[in-house]
Amino acid sequence: MSGPRRIMWAYLTTGIAVFGLMVLVGLAMRMEQARWLTYDPGSFYALMTLHGSGMIVALALCGMGGLWFIMDRERAMDQGLAWSAYALIVFGVVAVILSVFPGRFGAGWTFLFPLPFVGTTWPNWATGTFLIGVALVMLGWTIYCMQLLGCVLTKYGGMRGAMGWDLVFHHDAFVASGRPEPPPAAFAALITAVDGLFAVAGGMLVGVALIIHWIDPTVAIDPLWAKNLTYLFGHTFANLTIYMAIAFVYVALPRYAQREWHTSQVLAIAWWGTLLFVATAYFHHLYMDFVQPRGLQYIGEVASYLAAFPPAVVTIFGGAMLIYRSRLRWTMSSMFMYAGLVGWLIGGVGALIDATVPINVSLHNTLWVPAHFHTYLLEGVTLFVFGWIFADLEARTGLVSSLATRWITGLGIFGGGAVLLLGWYVAGAASVPRRYAEQPAPGPAIAAWASAGAILLILGLVVCLIEAVRLARARSAETAA
Amino acid sequence: MRDRQAYVAVKFVNGASPVLIGFLVAAGAILIIMAAVARTTIEPPETQAAVTSSGYRLRKGWLWGLGASAVVALAISLPSFPYGKPETLAGKHFTVIASQYSFELPPAVPAGTNVIFDVTSKDVNHGFGIYDPRGRLVAQVQAMPDYVNHLPLRFGVKGHYLVRCLEYCGIAHAGMQGAFEVR
Repeated sequence: MSGPRRIMWAYLTTGIAVFGLMVLVGLAMRMEQARWLTYDPGSFYALMTLHGSGMIVALALCGMGGLWFIMDRERAMDQGLAWSAYALIVFGVVAVILSVFPGRFGAGWTFLFPLPFVGTTWPNWATGTFLIGVALVMLGWTIYCMQLLGCVLTKYGGMRGAMGWDLVFHHDAFVASGRPEPPPAAFAALITAVDGLFAVAGGMLVGVALIIHWIDPTVAIDPLWAKNLTYLFGHTFANLTIYMAIAFVYVALPRYAQREWHTSQVLAIAWWGTLLFVATAYFHHLYMDFVQPRGLQYIGEVASYLAAFPPAVVTIFGGAMLIYRSRLRWTMSSMFMYAGLVGWLIGGVGALIDATVPINVSLHNTLWVPAHFHTYLLEGVTLFVFGWIFADLEARTGLVSSLATRWITGLGIFGGGAVLLLGWYVAGAASVPRRYAEQPAPGPAIAAWASAGAILLILGLVVCLIEAVRLARARSAETAA
Repeated sequence: MRDRQAYVAVKFVNGASPVLIGFLVAAGAILIIMAAVARTTIEPPETQAAVTSSGYRLRKGWLWGLGASAVVALAISLPSFPYGKPETLAGKHFTVIASQYSFELPPAVPAGTNVIFDVTSKDVNHGFGIYDPRGRLVAQVQAMPDYVNHLPLRFGVKGHYLVRCLEYCGIAHAGMQGAFEVR
């Protein structure tokens, strides 16, 4: 296996391992809410903290590895730096796990100041370990984004070239010059790097402030300032997991459709919009903070709406257009990628509803929120990642999974997933709060059938894993022969 | 004018949640359309150029439709934002103080008139979520340390209103409740 491919697979396998662990943690939480399992609230909130922070890092690792590999083929990057970023993130994940087991840190991934320090039921070292763990993840992410940015800027002639400025505004001259336009995946890389660095700057500010407060509790922090920066980082980082993984669809889906996904002027402009709106949509997390400057609340709603346009009009529509009346080969990979586009779109509708302030008044911090973000993370990003993994395995082995395997996997992941997700939507519309170890009615009854859906989903994931291992072993056997 | 509009009228909505129904209809439509697109892969293929040509026209219509929907949604929602300038909010003020894990609340507030809840916290971030007598969340605001959030409301229905914490605040978060009467 080549160096770059080894890097990609290190990120992917680590991400998938953490993802698998976090799925089980999530199931344990849902079963506790259904009253199928009984454990104390302290354990529930520790698991909730682990699930939230671990799952985002898991998906980010998968996206990072795949996107790094794609861009490395455009222009070779330093492998040592990629390993450094990986090591920092893995150390960060280990620190976060240690803060929860055995530390029982339970302030949530949001760690809203001053919760990690007030009324705590966990030791002080657990708070510090968690904060240092998050800081390590941010450091690794910073290195990764800088490397990605360097790659894109060098390859395509600075920011002007990478943004496709001449392609859009001097189209004829650009075509006549014979210069290649950046491929669609390069836009995903550029926007990930720029928005990623912007977000992590905010995250680092609040992270360092919290670590200083942990060392010296007399150092004061403004709670509204801390909340803004926490969500700037958290929201943007989570959002970018989608935009990293969409590069997989740009690269792999055309192969199955036997068509091309080229960079058009519209695609370039759409990504400019994404650059701006992903960085400004986070204000919707503070809709219920009425002291937030009113202008930022307006920006929050407008940016949240506009953020939907590039995916809906360009990428998802483009994906549908790509396969329409094509000779698409339906395999595990193409099935996951196309289904991921559907999940992203449906989750986006749920998010848009929640991003409308007068509606948010009755949905904010209810189960409607995990409903929509699980839709585009579980039935969107995760499927893009699985699609990418199977694209690599199918390309290298020449093997395709049987129709029965695809059906069983699909029934589990899409069918079980739909039941799980529907539970959150129904409960959210019924005003059941999120982040409750013990929910008011009708929460527990809904959690029971949602848990059944989650178990079905996990069975689908297990079949998927077995199939991936089968293909990987077939490749190993072929190589050995 | 804007601040008069900031008062959220608290009234009952009968039947199933229109938000949920709207979402399910949209999700169903997306599933049907995307499944129909997927099904075309078993039909005789067309060239990419032919598909792109008609697809771009359709995309233009989709963009305009989406844009028009966004403009309508903004036009309806922006004037209904619940934020009012504290100095211009007219009505009787009631102080709400949250702390781990209880609320200090007024025992009763009047119905049919403008009231303003001045909400703060003694310790960490909390959420001041008001549930109507039927158990539906009808209004909320964050309770933040060092800040006072002003929540303007007008209750149209008398009864017993439950308050739940809607921002994760620690180990007993799920049990943090209070109540007041609207008379």
